Amino acid sequence: MTSLHARMRLLSRRRPMVALIVQVALLAMVWFACDTVVRALHLPIPGSVGALALVLALLAMRVVPETSLRRGADWLLADMLLFFIPAVMAVWEHLPLLRSEGLRIVVAIVLGTVMVMATTAGLVDLAFRWKQHRAR
Amino acid sequence: MRAEFVSLAWLVATLAGYYALKPVYRRHPRWWTSPLLTVPVWLALLGVIFGMNYPAYIRDTHWLVLMLGPATVAFALPIWRYRHVIREHWLALALGVVGGSTVAMGSAWALASALGLDDEVRRSLVPRSITTPLAMVVSSDIGGVPELTALFVVITGVAGIALGELLLKYLPLRSALARGALFGVGAHGAGTAKAYGIGAEEGAVSSLAMVLSGILNVLLAPVVAKLMA
Repeated sequence: MTSLHARMRLLSRRRPMVALIVQVALLAMVWFACDTVVRALHLPIPGSVGALALVLALLAMRVVPETSLRRGADWLLADMLLFFIPAVMAVWEHLPLLRSEGLRIVVAIVLGTVMVMATTAGLVDLAFRWKQHRAR
Repeated sequence: MRAEFVSLAWLVATLAGYYALKPVYRRHPRWWTSPLLTVPVWLALLGVIFGMNYPAYIRDTHWLVLMLGPATVAFALPIWRYRHVIREHWLALALGVVGGSTVAMGSAWALASALGLDDEVRRSLVPRSITTPLAMVVSSDIGGVPELTALFVVITGVAGIALGELLLKYLPLRSALARGALFGVGAHGAGTAKAYGIGAEEGAVSSLAMVLSGILNVLLAPVVAKLMA
């Protein structure tokens, strides 16, 4: 295992592009395996969350060092917007709905988002101040 | 024109549009220059000119959507990288994520009901604050339309960047922790990108808050589905 990771480190240094593709393929394989298992066993969590937990556990147990997945993971996260653009194009199928309810939907989203943001920030700041206060 | 050719052309147009418009956002980061907004507008423009047929469009581009699975797995790395932030501020993070997610789902349901929106739309709105791959999962679990949810997530992201900036001006927030959580819980990945623009710590907290609230939503989905029944 260790020599495998050493080889991956070497690969990321010499051929960053190849390392990126290999690491993305590895993450995709973990996802696919977990998704298959979750479906077969009818587990209540989605395969992607199970795979996330598995990778996190492998990192925590030091079976897989962060460096062996860094390039692939960073690329997937940085270009995630690309992956959901095709999903957005489904709007085309729902144009009549959006024509009749679009404005109300936007109002609901804007008001809701203000409420979510204010609540979250308020609670976190409250907990943060409470902790600072106690530390003193 | 052959159907295979049309589908392939749409895939090329999507990729070309993304890689051409991404640098524009990097140079001028505004809410209206986000590729999330500009690329669909570019594709819609092509659709108006050449005629858009969604099944033909999605035939080859569904490979891109499929990549959202591995992208979700990739979130393991930021969580691992910022484990010390979790260890130190777990209470504040948990409060923000649980409180924020509750308000997100509750407000979506209440506002949609008050505005008289369709039941399908109302259900699709509930998971709109979390990151797309997970939001689409939750949406299908609670009887929404995953594609509509993806669209609502995008609108939330674009609105969240603008609203978050505005809120930071008026809320007396003392900690980078609160500023980051605001974007992560309220505006998922789009907000996280904005948070990184404010500061590295804000960005890290935001990505953490986004992942945690996404997972919380997924785990709560069966309960939420029962509540809405």
